[in-house]
Amino acid sequence: MPAVVVEHLAKSYEGNQAVEDVTFEVAEGEVFALLGPNGAGKTTVIEILEGFRRRERGRVEVLGYDPANHGTSRELREQMGVVLQELAVEPFLSVRQALTRNAGYYPNPRPVDEVLELVGLSEKSDDRVKSLSGGQQRRLDLGLGIVGNPRLLFLDEPTTGFDPSARRGAWEVVRALTGGGTTVVLTTHYMDEAEALADRVAVINAGHIVAQGAPGSLGGRDVGEASIRFRLSGTAGAPPLPVAARVSGGGAYEIKTGREVEVLAALTSWALREQVDVVGLTVERLTLEDVYLRLTGHAPDAGDPSGAAERE
Amino acid sequence: MGDVVLTARQVYYEQLNFWLNPIGAVFTVGFSVIFLLLVGSSAGHQRSSTLGGGLLISYYVPGFIAYGVMAACFNSLTINLVVRREMGLLKRVRLSPLPAWAMMAAVSANALIISAVQVVLVLLIGRFGYGVPFPHNLLALVVVLVVGAASFTALGLGTSTLVPNQEAGAPITSVVFFVLLFLSGLWFPLAASSGLAKFSSYLPVRHMIVAVYDASITQKGVSSWPWHDLVVMAAWGVVAAAVAARRWSWAPRQARSGRGRMLSGAGAAGRRRSQ
Repeated sequence: MPAVVVEHLAKSYEGNQAVEDVTFEVAEGEVFALLGPNGAGKTTVIEILEGFRRRERGRVEVLGYDPANHGTSRELREQMGVVLQELAVEPFLSVRQALTRNAGYYPNPRPVDEVLELVGLSEKSDDRVKSLSGGQQRRLDLGLGIVGNPRLLFLDEPTTGFDPSARRGAWEVVRALTGGGTTVVLTTHYMDEAEALADRVAVINAGHIVAQGAPGSLGGRDVGEASIRFRLSGTAGAPPLPVAARVSGGGAYEIKTGREVEVLAALTSWALREQVDVVGLTVERLTLEDVYLRLTGHAPDAGDPSGAAERE
Repeated sequence: MGDVVLTARQVYYEQLNFWLNPIGAVFTVGFSVIFLLLVGSSAGHQRSSTLGGGLLISYYVPGFIAYGVMAACFNSLTINLVVRREMGLLKRVRLSPLPAWAMMAAVSANALIISAVQVVLVLLIGRFGYGVPFPHNLLALVVVLVVGAASFTALGLGTSTLVPNQEAGAPITSVVFFVLLFLSGLWFPLAASSGLAKFSSYLPVRHMIVAVYDASITQKGVSSWPWHDLVVMAAWGVVAAAVAARRWSWAPRQARSGRGRMLSGAGAAGRRRSQ
């Protein structure tokens, strides 16, 4: 049984269509990332899944429950964890008090000491919440999200505002959880975060899912054109390049090709034969960010939405 | 049974959170004691013709009992709820398995406990500091305090839904509260025939002060059961509860700057649709 099923979900606010037609599934144990610019509908979708907002149309199932059903909402909430964008803890409680209190809401909570360990706050456990640094408060938030030992965890931009090492730390926590079988649905602005954590991503733009798939193949980035870049030295007297290349300023060469193996073979065998040095050789495909910007229409050259159409 | 324990635990953490905040504790509980000592020491020995020649202190002791209940159940509760809503605390509670009624019950019980502490402190200071006898109809006093606490808790819940943001919470609520206290005669007894008394008799604060006074102090020709005041307070409570039920929001009213809330209308729509 999938952990989350969303079919043709729609929601509008006072005539403005926030989510028009969203369909996706999240398998049990999967980490699923929802990517999209501000205002794309990410938060609306997440809040409908959490049971915080009501949908207008479509079918939604979360751990087998309809999140809009009042009769089962408590059962559902006992099995899900939520990490919100805002820090939301009473400032005068200690870290341990806050976690202990929330643990009491759930039938099978994770031991508080284990949570403290997981989020790296063991040494701060007796400190007041208000005395924590911003990063520590967000880690406490994460701790409150997992203290109920959830089957499904919602993370709304979990590392916004973290420094790089704190982000790595948060990723480790999420990986440790998913190792234990927890399903995670997260939203993020960071492509490296989606790439590091998610088994699957969906890009949402203007209320529609415009692409979904594994981060490595989203928008066809595993196939199609690659870009080969290099510089040359010691070319005096050598015959010209065996392949067509664009020369940019400073003597850098760039080749865009869909047949990078052949091009590389021709280039490198030519270089070896003619004893030319190929300096700084790189082969790059579209980054997830390139694909994302293209899909959401924010790329400088957003002229080619074909990748979006293929994947939909 | 499980839910009773759950609610009791929640009350415990509400209390913990209240008493661990020294400024909050002093401003709420301390004020009724400090005000009583201030006015009691400066004017308590004077006699008032409005009170039929009675000592002013015998007016201030019931007055500050009423004040304590209203401060905890109305003023503090309103500010507290606005802050929690805008911080996202209410949203987090909504998304946890803690039932909404358990949270409401705990928040109200917390206000009730804080009220009770103040009532006891003021009674003791009045009795042993100024020689004001204990209330003559204790049962009536308890009924007045319970009805008053319930009404002002409902008023706190309702008012919190009318305050748009966290910054406005304390100023708006406190100014309204202290103006009402002034108009309702907390600081000096109002003659029943005065314009001020007639005006403030439409508002609940005056009735709370009068009801506590009637239940506490023996007066010739006045019943110690202030039914009329109880009815007016209860009516205000019912109206406020209806406002609260209609306008209640678990989500912050104010979009966070820099963090994309959806559309400008999202807050308003979410208010009504959020369950």
